[in-house]
Amino acid sequence: MFVFFSTCTVYLVLFGSTQADENSCGLSITWLETVSVTMDVSKNGFHRDLVTTVDFGPGFPDGLEALLVHRLPSGIYIDQYQLASLKEDTGLQVLLGSAVDLEAPAHTSEEFIVLVYPALEQGSLKATLPIHGRYHKPSLAGKRFELVEIKLPKLILRSDTCTQLISFPPYKIVDAPCTVHNLSICQWLEIQHLQEQDPVSLEIPLGDGSLVEPVCAGTLIVTLLCCVILSRSIWRHGVF
Amino acid sequence: MASIMESVLSKLMNKNVLFTVSFLVRLILVSFGVYQDRTMVVKYTDVDYHVFTDASKFITQGQSPYHRSTYRYTPLLAWILTPNVYLSHVFGKLLFITCDVLSGHLIYLLLRQRGLSCEAACRVCSLWLLNPLPAGVSSRGNAESVLTALVLATLLCLELRQLPMAAILYGLAVHMKIYPVTYALPIALSLQRKENGEEKRVGWWRRALGFLLRLLNKELFLFAGVAGVVFCGLTVLFYNMYGWDFLHETYLYHLTRRDIHHNFSPYFYMLYLTADSPWSLALGLAAFLPQALLLLLVSLAFHTDLALCCFLHTAIFVSFNKVCTSQYFLWYLCLFPLVLPRLTLSPKQGVELLALWFAGQGIWLAPAYYLEFEGYNTFLLIWLAGLIFLIINSFIMVQIVTHYKPPDTMQRLKAE
Repeated sequence: MFVFFSTCTVYLVLFGSTQADENSCGLSITWLETVSVTMDVSKNGFHRDLVTTVDFGPGFPDGLEALLVHRLPSGIYIDQYQLASLKEDTGLQVLLGSAVDLEAPAHTSEEFIVLVYPALEQGSLKATLPIHGRYHKPSLAGKRFELVEIKLPKLILRSDTCTQLISFPPYKIVDAPCTVHNLSICQWLEIQHLQEQDPVSLEIPLGDGSLVEPVCAGTLIVTLLCCVILSRSIWRHGVF
Repeated sequence: MASIMESVLSKLMNKNVLFTVSFLVRLILVSFGVYQDRTMVVKYTDVDYHVFTDASKFITQGQSPYHRSTYRYTPLLAWILTPNVYLSHVFGKLLFITCDVLSGHLIYLLLRQRGLSCEAACRVCSLWLLNPLPAGVSSRGNAESVLTALVLATLLCLELRQLPMAAILYGLAVHMKIYPVTYALPIALSLQRKENGEEKRVGWWRRALGFLLRLLNKELFLFAGVAGVVFCGLTVLFYNMYGWDFLHETYLYHLTRRDIHHNFSPYFYMLYLTADSPWSLALGLAAFLPQALLLLLVSLAFHTDLALCCFLHTAIFVSFNKVCTSQYFLWYLCLFPLVLPRLTLSPKQGVELLALWFAGQGIWLAPAYYLEFEGYNTFLLIWLAGLIFLIINSFIMVQIVTHYKPPDTMQRLKAE
C-alpha cells in the first residue's frame, strides 16, 4: 500500500510539475475534458427506457470505474423487482437510494436517487434503465399531457488501482458505494462540466378534470340503468 | 375428416381421458413457461408468482411476508408456497394447475349430483378443463384456482348436505379472498327450513316472522358457527403472528381500494377524476349501492339453485365493482358450467353471447394498449369502453336469467 502511495506521489511530482496538468490517479484534466454524457428516452407510453451513454476520448485509464447518479423526478418510478430480474438477465447494475412506492400517484411521490453502474459497451459506457410513468393529477385546464423532465445524471469516477484521489478544482471528491453490492464506501471524483445538455422530457397522458361532471353523470346514469334493467329481469324470472 | 374429429371428441369425453389430457396440457404450459422465462425477454410467469415466492422467502427467513411490497394476500398462501424456496421454484405452479384440474373434477361431481349423465357432465366440464383461460392463468402462477377449488368444494358439500365440511371450506375461502362473503346470504336462505304448507292468508308481519323463524334454524347456526370459528381462528392466528400489516394488506386494502389506474371497471375514470375531491366518499357509496341492491335481489330470487345464485352474485359483484381486472373473471367462470345445463339458450345464442363478451373486452383493450404502451391520451375512450363492457355484461346476465329453467320445470317438460 505504501509502495503504491509513494509511486503515485512520485508520479504526481514528476508529471504534475513538468506538465501543468493536474493528475488524480491517472485521470488527467485533458482526458477528463473528453468525457461527455448523453441521455435519451426510448419507447412510448408509460413504460420507457432511459439510455445513458458516457463517451470519452482515447486513453481510457485501466481499472476506471464509473457511476451515474440520477436524480429522478416524482413523475416516474422504478420497479426494484424488475431491476432484480434484469440484473440476472442482462447484468444491469443499479442501486436504489430508497424504497419506491410502485403505485402512488405523482403528486404524493417525491424525487429519488438512483445509482447506475454502466457497463463498457463498444467503446463507451452505457446503461439502459427501465422507467415507468406515474399517474398524474387530472388537469383542469384541458392540458392533455404532463411533461416530465429528467435532468442529466452526475457522472463520478474512481480508479480501482489507485484509491487516493486528490481533489483539484473544478472537480470535487464525493463518497459513494464502491460497487453495486453496496458493501463499502469509496471516494469518487465528480465530473462537473457535463451539465450542458438540456434535460430530456417525456409526456405522460393526463385525465381531463374539466370533464368531471359529465363523466360522473354518465357513469352513474349507465350503472343505474343497467341495475334497473337487471333488477327487472331478476324480479320477473326469479323463483321466489 | 369429420368422422375422425367425431371419434377423437367422443374418446376425449371419457372421464379419465379428459382429466388426464387437461392435466398434461397444463403441465406442458408450465414447462414451456419455464423455458420461455429462461430464454426470452418477455416472461411467461406472472408478476404475482414472484410476489408469492418472495413473500415465502421472507417466511423461510423467519420474517413477515408483508416485507414484500404489493403482497396483498393471506400469509397462508406464502406458507403453502414455502416449498418454492426449499424444493423447486416450480412447485407453486404445479400446485395451482392441480387445483385447476381439481376444480374441473368438482364441477363434474356437482353436475352428476344434479342428474347429468357421465357423458353430458364430461362435455360441460370440458368447457373449464379445455379452456385456455384458466389453464393459462394457473400455469402462469396465479393462485385463483385455489379459491375456485374451495368455492366449488363448498357448493358440493352443501349439495351433499355435509354441513360441517362445507362450513370449514367456506371459512377458508373467505379467509383467502373476501368476495365469497357475499355467498353468505344465499347459503343462509338455502339452509332455511321448508314451508309446511301454512295458510297463505296471514298478515305480512306473520309471514315475515315465519320467514325469520324458518331462516334461523339449527343448520344455519351449525354452518355459521363452524365457518365463523375457522375464519376468526385464522384471523386471530395471523394477527398474532404478523400484526396490523396482515389485517391491512389482506382485507382493508381490498375493501378501501381506490385504484386510479385504468381497469375494466365502469367507475375507473370517475374515481380517477375525483380522487382528491370531497365528493370521493359519496361517489364511492353511490357506486356501492347498485351492487348491494342487485346482490340482495339475486339472493332472494335464486337461492333455491345455489350454483346459479353464486354465479350471478359474483358476475354482478365483478361487473359493478370499483376495480375490475381480468383475473376476477375466473371467479364466476368456474361456476358457469354448473349453470349451463339449466339454460334454454341454443348453442348459436350461446356462441353469440360469448363473442359479445370477448368483443367487449377487445373494445376496452385497444384504447388501453394505446394509453399504456403508445402514450396516446385515450382516457375518454377507455371510459366509454368500460361503460360498454358493463352494458354487455348486464345484457348477458339478463339473457341467462331469462333463459333459466328451474329443475322441476325441466323435469315436467321432459315428462310431457
